[in-house]
Amino acid sequence: MDELTSVFIQESREQLAEMEAGLLRLEQTPDDASGIDTIFRAAHTIKGASGVIECQFIETFMHRVENILDALRNGEADISAALTTLLLECCDHLGSLLDVLAAQASEPSADVAARGEALSEHLEQFLSAIVPTQEPAARTNLAAQDDDGEVESSGGGVVNTDSWHISVRFGPNVMRGGVDPLSLLRYLGGLGEIIGIETVSDGLPPAADMDPESCYLGFEVRLQTKASKADIERVFTFVSDECDLRILPPHSNVADYIRLIQELPEDDMRIGEILVRCGALTQAEVDHGLQAQHEVLLAQGESSGGADTTAASPAPLGAILVDSKVVHKETVEAAIAKQNQVVDKRAREAQLVRVHADKLDKLIDLVGELVIAGASANLLALKSRQTDLVEATSVLSRLVEDIRDSALQLRMVQIGDTFNRFHRVVRDVSKDLGKEIELSISGAETELDKTVVEKIGDPLMHLVRNSLDHGIEPVAVRLERGKPACGRVSLNAYHDSGSIVIEVSDDGGGLNLERIRAKAIERELIQPGDTLSESDIQNLIFEPGFSTVETVSKLSGRGVGMDVVRRNITALRGTVDVASVAGEGATFTIRLPLTLAIIDGFLVGVDKAAYVIPLDSVVECIEHKDISGGRNFLNLRGEPLPFIRLRELFEVGGQAPARESIVVVQFGGQRAGIVVDQLMGEFQTVIKPLGRLFAKLRGIGGSTILGSGEVALILDVAALVNMVSRSEETLLYGHRVASPFALSGSNTVIRGNEH
Amino acid sequence: MGELVQATGRTQRAAATPKGAVAVRSEPPPQYLTFTLGGEMFAVGILNVKEIIEYGNLTTIPMMPSFIRGVINLRGSVVPVIDLSARFGGKPTEVARRTCIVILEVADTESEDDVHHDVGVLVDSVSEVLDIPASEIEPPPSFGARIRADFISGMGKVAGKFVILLNIGKVLSVEEIALLTETGTMAESAAAV
Repeated sequence: MDELTSVFIQESREQLAEMEAGLLRLEQTPDDASGIDTIFRAAHTIKGASGVIECQFIETFMHRVENILDALRNGEADISAALTTLLLECCDHLGSLLDVLAAQASEPSADVAARGEALSEHLEQFLSAIVPTQEPAARTNLAAQDDDGEVESSGGGVVNTDSWHISVRFGPNVMRGGVDPLSLLRYLGGLGEIIGIETVSDGLPPAADMDPESCYLGFEVRLQTKASKADIERVFTFVSDECDLRILPPHSNVADYIRLIQELPEDDMRIGEILVRCGALTQAEVDHGLQAQHEVLLAQGESSGGADTTAASPAPLGAILVDSKVVHKETVEAAIAKQNQVVDKRAREAQLVRVHADKLDKLIDLVGELVIAGASANLLALKSRQTDLVEATSVLSRLVEDIRDSALQLRMVQIGDTFNRFHRVVRDVSKDLGKEIELSISGAETELDKTVVEKIGDPLMHLVRNSLDHGIEPVAVRLERGKPACGRVSLNAYHDSGSIVIEVSDDGGGLNLERIRAKAIERELIQPGDTLSESDIQNLIFEPGFSTVETVSKLSGRGVGMDVVRRNITALRGTVDVASVAGEGATFTIRLPLTLAIIDGFLVGVDKAAYVIPLDSVVECIEHKDISGGRNFLNLRGEPLPFIRLRELFEVGGQAPARESIVVVQFGGQRAGIVVDQLMGEFQTVIKPLGRLFAKLRGIGGSTILGSGEVALILDVAALVNMVSRSEETLLYGHRVASPFALSGSNTVIRGNEH
Repeated sequence: MGELVQATGRTQRAAATPKGAVAVRSEPPPQYLTFTLGGEMFAVGILNVKEIIEYGNLTTIPMMPSFIRGVINLRGSVVPVIDLSARFGGKPTEVARRTCIVILEVADTESEDDVHHDVGVLVDSVSEVLDIPASEIEPPPSFGARIRADFISGMGKVAGKFVILLNIGKVLSVEEIALLTETGTMAESAAAV
């Protein structure tokens, strides 16, 4: 796909999101005129851009949508629920058209096309219900003017210089004022005979930046008429404040034209060409004239003395014009202000740079290598015992750390956009279900890695739909239970010790533990005799093939949802949990790592091997005084702290040193200790995935390369602790091994059953 | 240089799978890297080989079956190292003076894209690069080789002796190994307590 098309698709999706958001807002506050403007602008931008990339099917469709929006904007049609729904469907359709384009198909498939036709028909119906359009209104205006204009038409056959030259630049607000420039030109034609007309389109911004409500065009017109200058000016009375009008009478000399050329905002040569094309001047006249004028300017600059020479060339044009009384001072100032505005706008645009994600990934990779190289330089410096060198490398590594942080920051995006998509989902689903549900969003500004954001959309969608469908009760039941009729689903995001936590909660009925249990027994996920804690039962819903709803609705209930949710989230090195209070609602908590590339780690050693514990999960380090009891817990300030002996778990072998240390880690409200030989301090850890070969390995999150060039393994603390506690349970409650279901989701065991 | 080998490696692999295909070509006979393992001679297609490095700086991965020796840092990327002897069901390789790690490129058959993994194999010593024409390659014996038949792509005749030509795609099948590691993890984690 060429770059233009991919940019188009990306930008159109953004516009589409804006359109959709606008429509949803409009539904809430139908009187908000600016809302319609936003939608219209977005639709128009897409249409315009699709024209640029010559994507016919999108352009045609958007044209129809735009017609309706235009009518809405002009207040000729009222926004109604039916219309919003239709427009939202149009948005969906546009989305699928963009998919078609993204798939590089030349035209949409039959069913997509059929849907487009159906929607177009609906649009037509709405449109035909609307009577007058803007143009006739403008016409009547002009017709009225026609009468007192006393137009005389000339016979023609006059020599060229006999024509008036009119150069007009319409201001951006002309169309907002309700005047169609085209009809003005038509009216002008009525005064006499237009023998030459050229459109000056230099003011057009790139299609994406174009405001459909603004007029960017200017015209150079040769008009043969017997009408007076006043008559011609009167044509433009309605827009006199808004447009820049210059009229040269017939038989004007070349110098006047040259002055005109220079007064106009566009490039001199360009205007010269346009004038030549519309027959006002010959090329020779333009060249000669510009040359002469240039010399005059130079001469003036020199004559005004040395001090002014520097300023003489570009700046004084305005001054000269004012001096020679061609234009008013105010006009020049206004023009300068306008120019500055343009510059400002460009500067603002320059603050945002669209960068291909691959380039960022490459940068992050390189920064990762830099971190590793820096660590090895540091190590060597320390070994050399040269204070200067050590100091220099430590400055260097601080800078590298900063670079790392800002490089990672580049990939961080706010989760808000992902959240906002759900307004639409909630609206549609609640209508379908006949429930009243509102969505509340908090923590939208929480940032996380772009790659994570992209992948979290689907799991979130499942969870939200699940809450809408199963969580929130029907209105009658809600009222009966003394709850407000309008249910509430909330999305919340926040940072918590190096991870991002996303919560999807509802104020519905909560999970029905009895039914889950019954279902799990029916599906042979658990045995009838098993004793399970509440949270174990709740987490059963994440098992493959589990669904408690008797009827399969189109929203959810195919029994794959929750299973897929957990698989997707695990793939992101995250976890998902559910907490539910009967009658008060359920909360799904997704915990994800902030980034997939680099973390701050805490380096520990067992025998000769080094391991990295993510620093965010480390609470403290304590000395392990040998407790010979053989039980793996200790008394940490009055609280029992279970711990894991890495040496035993990893079967490292060798004799433990006399003094071991315990790293106290915390995750998801749980604490545990990890017994290691040595504490080696903080370490910037560039995560190197272990590859597919180790995809099934639990307890190890990845690897990293130490300054010495050795590979160290990164511990996945949560998985490690889970694993140990599961296997301990399995050992102690022997009968549970027979159950195909391992309690509350030890991934390893469950995954084994899939095969 | 590495990229060059990589590029040609792909085309060659595609062409070499059906047995006859190689013989039809009037190209120079395919080359093989031979190495010893427990006194026996083995060979792999040279186009699979990326490089040969000295044994060292290996990080063991806990809770893994014994034939996965660990990972090494190969110029910034982490590459797993497989103990071939253990993979064939024999004893783990003892590290000696001439022990080498041969870095091989393995196609990922499961993913749709043309993805390749680098995998290191631990061998007792690397011998030489040999030309073995297709006419000198016999089909593997149905049994008796003490190695799974699907691991062998053929028996090359070199100086009157047989050299086992390995089917690297099978021996180092990422899917199969990943599956094996999983059962390993289960067993070890159960035993850990």
